[in-house]
Amino acid sequence: METLIGVFEQQLGLEGVWALSAAYSVCIGSLLGFITVYAMFAIWMERKVAAHMQVRMGPMETGAWHGWAQSIADAVKLLFKEDIIPSQSNKVMFWIAPAVVFCGVFAGFIVIPFALGLQIADLNLGIFFLISIASIEVIGVIMAGWASNSKYSLFGAIREAAQVVSYEIPTATALLVPILVVGSFRLDDFNLWQEANGWLIFHSPWMMLAGLVFFISSLAGCKRAPFDLPEAESELVSGFHTEYSGMRFSFFFLEEYASMFVASAVMATLWFGGWTIPFVDMSTWTDPDSFGLSDVAVTSIGIVVLLAKTFFFIFVQMWLRWTLPRLRVDQVMTLGYKYLVPWGFVALVMTAIFKYYGWGWFPN
Amino acid sequence: MEALEMYTVDRTSDVYTEELRLNLGPQHPSTHGVLRVELQMDGEIITAARSDIGYLHRCAEKIGENVTYLQYTPYTDRMDYLASMNNNLAWSLTVEKLLDIEAPERSQWIRVLVVELNRIASHLIAFGTYGIDLGANTPFFYAFRERESIMALLEKISGARMLYNFIRPGGVANDIDDAWMDEVLAFCDDFDKRWDEYNRILTNNHIFIKRTANIGILTKEMALAYGCTGPVLRASGVKWDLRRDIPYLKPYDEIEFDVPVGMGTHGTLGDCWDRYWVRMREMRECTSIIRQAIAAIPDGVHMEKKMERMYKTPLTPEPGEAYMRCENPRGELAFYAVSEGGKSPIRCRARAPSFCNLSVLDKLLPGTMLADGVAVIGSLDIVLGEVDR
Repeated sequence: METLIGVFEQQLGLEGVWALSAAYSVCIGSLLGFITVYAMFAIWMERKVAAHMQVRMGPMETGAWHGWAQSIADAVKLLFKEDIIPSQSNKVMFWIAPAVVFCGVFAGFIVIPFALGLQIADLNLGIFFLISIASIEVIGVIMAGWASNSKYSLFGAIREAAQVVSYEIPTATALLVPILVVGSFRLDDFNLWQEANGWLIFHSPWMMLAGLVFFISSLAGCKRAPFDLPEAESELVSGFHTEYSGMRFSFFFLEEYASMFVASAVMATLWFGGWTIPFVDMSTWTDPDSFGLSDVAVTSIGIVVLLAKTFFFIFVQMWLRWTLPRLRVDQVMTLGYKYLVPWGFVALVMTAIFKYYGWGWFPN
Repeated sequence: MEALEMYTVDRTSDVYTEELRLNLGPQHPSTHGVLRVELQMDGEIITAARSDIGYLHRCAEKIGENVTYLQYTPYTDRMDYLASMNNNLAWSLTVEKLLDIEAPERSQWIRVLVVELNRIASHLIAFGTYGIDLGANTPFFYAFRERESIMALLEKISGARMLYNFIRPGGVANDIDDAWMDEVLAFCDDFDKRWDEYNRILTNNHIFIKRTANIGILTKEMALAYGCTGPVLRASGVKWDLRRDIPYLKPYDEIEFDVPVGMGTHGTLGDCWDRYWVRMREMRECTSIIRQAIAAIPDGVHMEKKMERMYKTPLTPEPGEAYMRCENPRGELAFYAVSEGGKSPIRCRARAPSFCNLSVLDKLLPGTMLADGVAVIGSLDIVLGEVDR
């Protein structure tokens, strides 16, 4: 971001505010473009993963090659659909709810380091920002459920509120564990630390436990199966977005896939080295002596590495979704409070002890 | 509406939440058709339930009094449309009893074959949709893969995929050959392997057991009092199977098979898991019956010659009445027909198993959570075409 402002100020001769707004527009535009393209790909991927698990082929016709254009066709169809707002709904809330939901996740993207220095906002409190901004989504879902004036939507919204708020405790606890070891809230610090020392997941068994707790909690946070209670289609028809259709519905859909990306990217960054490759010092690649790659090339490799790791976790989320039955409301709460929260705290305390005595599977 | 008064929240205590009236259905993903259940909800907990049926009423019994005996056979297909062969059989046996004739030996074995194949297909739907009710979508597709093979097999001999009109008074519509029986045997071998796959993906899944064990417990007394039959009754621990106890076809006397009953493996006797597991084990019994039937099938005619002649003119049984019951995948299907010597019965009545099994729903639901309610409806395995007729 700062770099971009610098570019606009110096090379294009724009002044203060203008450079700032130009940089903002570029960032937001590229991020929106990225999320849209990613969501389309992820939806196509989800359909393919589901299909191949269920002994069928999934979309095969649209776009000739394995239905690659299916998501684009769906998006166009959703765009052109009639905009239906139920007559008994609270129209203002119904109208802004999808936007609120999407904004929360969208804001989460700005702190994700895609590669060395490729980050829209390099916040000192990056993880803290992520946790807090992700909670905004709940407000949007509750608004949607309430404004729809449908009992099923209301059930979905209440479930979402209970579930997401509960699972923020184990999420935050689990996130504290890598923070404890690295000693920073800045997301890029984790990449640099892991580039020097190795993946954090192999730090100690407690780190693995923390990673597991975070992954399970992030499933619940993303409303993915087996925690898809807010939209449990066999019980609540479609949960909080029962009354939504067309473009508004697609925003909820976009939000789901975007939050999957954020959760997976955080998982990849904090526990699995982010954009770094194990045992490889990428900063030397720009030297003419080794590979002599340009900065752009190294950055691109970083992006590819991070995306590969992220998509692995997205795949695992899809895999679980098409394998497991759904939990019941009270079982979700039991799992959260009776298992994940204690596990998270155990991991936190034990890691603190390990850190104090300098134990662990590699020096820290 | 009595049920709604029975369970009310204690409003004398100082803390209570307002109850919500939730309308589950008739268009709802997991009511298995057009069932409507009126629920009184205290948060996520169901305090009272009242099922409302009749959305699929097609006057099937009245139609029976206005068409000839033979013309009614295709209408029985459309009652329990997932087990058409079994419905055909029950109606054919009723008419045969009215005519006081017996189907030829070979046709009885063919009947057993197709009926058991259809039973597997019907239980596969129960298995697959039960997975969907609990949020596991994948088993459904596995079940449909095998069901597709059964439909292809039955299409080869009857010409139809779902509504066969194959078993008719006096025998069956077409004869079967050895090639077809080999295909059935190959399917049975394949199916037994797939059955283990089902158990790996759904039956023994920890979440699945947690969701179904100790949910919707139907006691033995209650099951008998409400006239529940089929897997729902057997899951409650009553070893009652018409095929074994009152063999209505000769082959059932000669074939060895077990009648699975609920054992309360993971929870209480008569819970959702038991009902599910009884169906699963019945499928294995079906393949065993089919193998034995194919090994023992005698030569002969598939249709009574006398009947074939009679088919040219409408059947006119002597005045009298007949009541025949059969073990359908969902329980006992019985037809009652009264003849006054005319071309059609003057009274035609079907005792539908789904209807009786559904009657316990209002008693099972109160006290469970909304998600459990869906699990209970799914475990009763109702077909609304049969409930409403």
